[in-house]
Amino acid sequence: MPREADPSTNEQAFLLSALRENIRLDGRALDAYRPISLSFGEDYGTADVRIGKTRVRATISADVVTPFVDRKFDGVFTISTELSPMASPAFEVGRQDQTEILLSRILEKTVRRSGALDTESLCIVAGQKCFHIRADIHVMDHDGNLVDASCLALIAALLHFRRPDVEIKGEEVTVFSVREREPVKLAMQHQPFCVTTSCYEEGTILLHDATLLEEQCREGDVLISMNKFGEICQIAKYGGAPMDGLSILTCTNTVLERVKIFDQLVKDRIAEDEKRRDVGGLIAELSAENDR
Amino acid sequence: MPLDTSTYSLAHLRVDGRRWNELRRVHGQISTQAAADGSSYFEMGNTKIICTIAGPQEQRRGGNSGQSHDAKVEVEIGIAGFSGVDRKRRGRNDKRIQEMQHAIASAFTHTLFTHLYPHSTITIHLHVLSQDGALLAACINAATLALIDAGIPMSDYTAACTTGSTASYASNDEAADPLLDLNSMEEQELPFLTLGTSGGDDQVSLLIMETRVQATRLEAMVSVGLDGCRQIRSLLDGIVRAHGKKVLEARVT
Amino acid sequence: MANTIPLSPAELSYLHTSLSQTPPIRPDGRSPTQFRPLVAETDILPSANGSARICFADGTEAIVGVKAEVEKSSARPGATTDDIFKNSRDQDGDVDVDREESDKEGKGRDEWLEIAIEIPGMRDDDSLPVFLSAMLTEALLSDGGLKDRLWINSRFHWRLYIDILLLSQPRSYPLPLLSLTTHLALISTRIPALISEHDEDPLFNDDWEASTFLYPRSGELQARSKPPVTLLVVSIGEAVLFDPSRDELAVCDSAMAISVAQSAGAGLKVVALRMIDPPSRLTAGGVPQVLNSTSNPAATASLSPAEALVLREKDQGQTVWRPPRGGVRRAIISRIIKMVVENNGVGEEVIAGLAGVEA
Repeated sequence: MPREADPSTNEQAFLLSALRENIRLDGRALDAYRPISLSFGEDYGTADVRIGKTRVRATISADVVTPFVDRKFDGVFTISTELSPMASPAFEVGRQDQTEILLSRILEKTVRRSGALDTESLCIVAGQKCFHIRADIHVMDHDGNLVDASCLALIAALLHFRRPDVEIKGEEVTVFSVREREPVKLAMQHQPFCVTTSCYEEGTILLHDATLLEEQCREGDVLISMNKFGEICQIAKYGGAPMDGLSILTCTNTVLERVKIFDQLVKDRIAEDEKRRDVGGLIAELSAENDR
Repeated sequence: MPLDTSTYSLAHLRVDGRRWNELRRVHGQISTQAAADGSSYFEMGNTKIICTIAGPQEQRRGGNSGQSHDAKVEVEIGIAGFSGVDRKRRGRNDKRIQEMQHAIASAFTHTLFTHLYPHSTITIHLHVLSQDGALLAACINAATLALIDAGIPMSDYTAACTTGSTASYASNDEAADPLLDLNSMEEQELPFLTLGTSGGDDQVSLLIMETRVQATRLEAMVSVGLDGCRQIRSLLDGIVRAHGKKVLEARVT
Repeated sequence: MANTIPLSPAELSYLHTSLSQTPPIRPDGRSPTQFRPLVAETDILPSANGSARICFADGTEAIVGVKAEVEKSSARPGATTDDIFKNSRDQDGDVDVDREESDKEGKGRDEWLEIAIEIPGMRDDDSLPVFLSAMLTEALLSDGGLKDRLWINSRFHWRLYIDILLLSQPRSYPLPLLSLTTHLALISTRIPALISEHDEDPLFNDDWEASTFLYPRSGELQARSKPPVTLLVVSIGEAVLFDPSRDELAVCDSAMAISVAQSAGAGLKVVALRMIDPPSRLTAGGVPQVLNSTSNPAATASLSPAEALVLREKDQGQTVWRPPRGGVRRAIISRIIKMVVENNGVGEEVIAGLAGVEA
């Protein structure tokens, strides 16, 4: 069973004593993120997020299925995560790793349980046909802060994705291909983002966006998901060093600031991408007119 | 089945007749099973848990023992098929259960003096016999009692409880009251969180919330939760002391 | 059980000798048919139809929960026309209770009963839980009365889920513990009283007080049908011992699990019997004096391996411990069966004892 090598005692001591003087090894402020890059693929629904060396790619796909018997008016939305050996030698194909379980649970709670995607809008014919939206999260490189990066990629991809348009005439359902009719955006109700806060020195030093080394040395972490309206979608503090109740509350304030930055970032990038794609719709594309 | 929360504002009584800051009946027993190294039985209302401890014992899998100088805490949760209203079997690979196992294991790794037992494993087996809300909280309390019975040194009790808020997202946000110790009907309807404390007042060692809520509600929920954990802690302390007294009396006679 | 037996050949030999005396001398001073004390309680879970918990003296503990759910019967191939005919006849006239009872006969199906066993540290598809649940299912179904009682009408039936939890590590062979707990849970199982008639969608009385026991409690003790119990019996020489402890299992010649059930109107009958590979086979044999190389170096040095084997065989476990070989004589099996099923025998004693357990 491959396993991430623990950092050496010297490395740990160096990192911690630097932190005690409010210095991070890469020179960032405690609550600063590494440079974030967000780009979209050629197809609708692929987003590629890089936070420093960490890189995550989210792909959305849609197909038509029968809805679950107990949820006749809802579409299906699944999130699947995969940590391949490409990201880190500690990951193995097929084996469920603790990191993977936690990652998929946090995404599930942040995006699915909080109702970010309006699943009712995915229903085509109640009880018979609905869309199945499937999100695949691929971690390409792991240098800490997987959860924040995956969540950002997932939300960006969902906002970017367009599903095929449908038309219902009585009993008959027509699903139009991308060339036949302009595909439609997904109905998003809100955009939650997850921010991980790592704590050191019995919860007195808190920092955002920990690198892999910083993650290995931390005493505990708090994962908080919020949207820009100040709603908390999920909090997970799994054990670790105890923290003061009050400092968790102040945590939510800094998280909210960060979430607003994320929200703006995604919005800007989506707008840029739309501008790039907008050549005047199908009409312009199909126009027979040529420049002479 | 939507819970009728509208009546709450009239009499300030919940569906089971409790007030907002009341816990359900808490009952615990220590040393329920002779064969285990430590065992306990814990009830919070209708949620019933049996916990047994195996260890500290030699690590089962030799694989990664080379790097650890501390005991490893492992948790296994078995949810009985008959524990809910409908009979349902949960596979052991259910991610929700694995997440709970991870949460409990890492909460106790920090309070137990694991450095006293290098290269060994402490396994916490939790059997859920009946569930009616506050599942994770009851598991943590049961494990605390069983670990004390097993005689594994720890820095403090880990006590946990759940708190909710009567604010469903859109409606009566300002008038919302925090609620202590939700049952399963309330858990289905209202936002709630599980809070675990250890090591002195207001030291939160575990906090898990899975439902959407306004950030402004969180403060009230956490402070009620901290108060609930204080109550649970003193109840756990009472159970341990009563058991200790009984053991001593049995020695004397 | 994979866990090794922490006894030396000398200790094994001592145990074996004292247990093969007539009467056998058991380490804890019990008589051959005496059981160790156990702690039992029933109706411990409010959310289950029936439940029980048993704690054995060696610390092993099990909990059983029985849950019944109404399920739509799938049409039985071939039998449908017959069923419809019967039902139309039912609707014509009044049906008295006796008729209805007899109508249920032979209508139960094996798949309406589901047993799941959870043993800590084992996967659900490991051989031990699979084998144990097969054995318990077999014993429960062999008495047709149970599955017939699950029949509601031609369209609906009860589905009975029996979830068995072993709470402790399996120290000794867990079958008797699980079987006794299941028995106790089943006799405390109640199902809601039916208030709808014939083939209507079933409707039940909300009043739990009005519910009926799955195994009826009225009538003479002898006349009632009872779920089976499985007992573990070992033989050592001529001796037959019930409820063997771990040490006794370690030296037994043979071990068997015998299931007995009480059907209505008749006495006890054996519904299943299985030989169990005794753990004593895994023990290491002792070295006879003639082969002892420390006390007798000169003699042993000259022996070839073949000669040593002959000498070892000649000893036949007379002077030192030798793991048991071969099977068990028929006379002993018949004696065991007789001891279990006879009037006022061990089986009746166990069933009566469990019937006395209060909630």
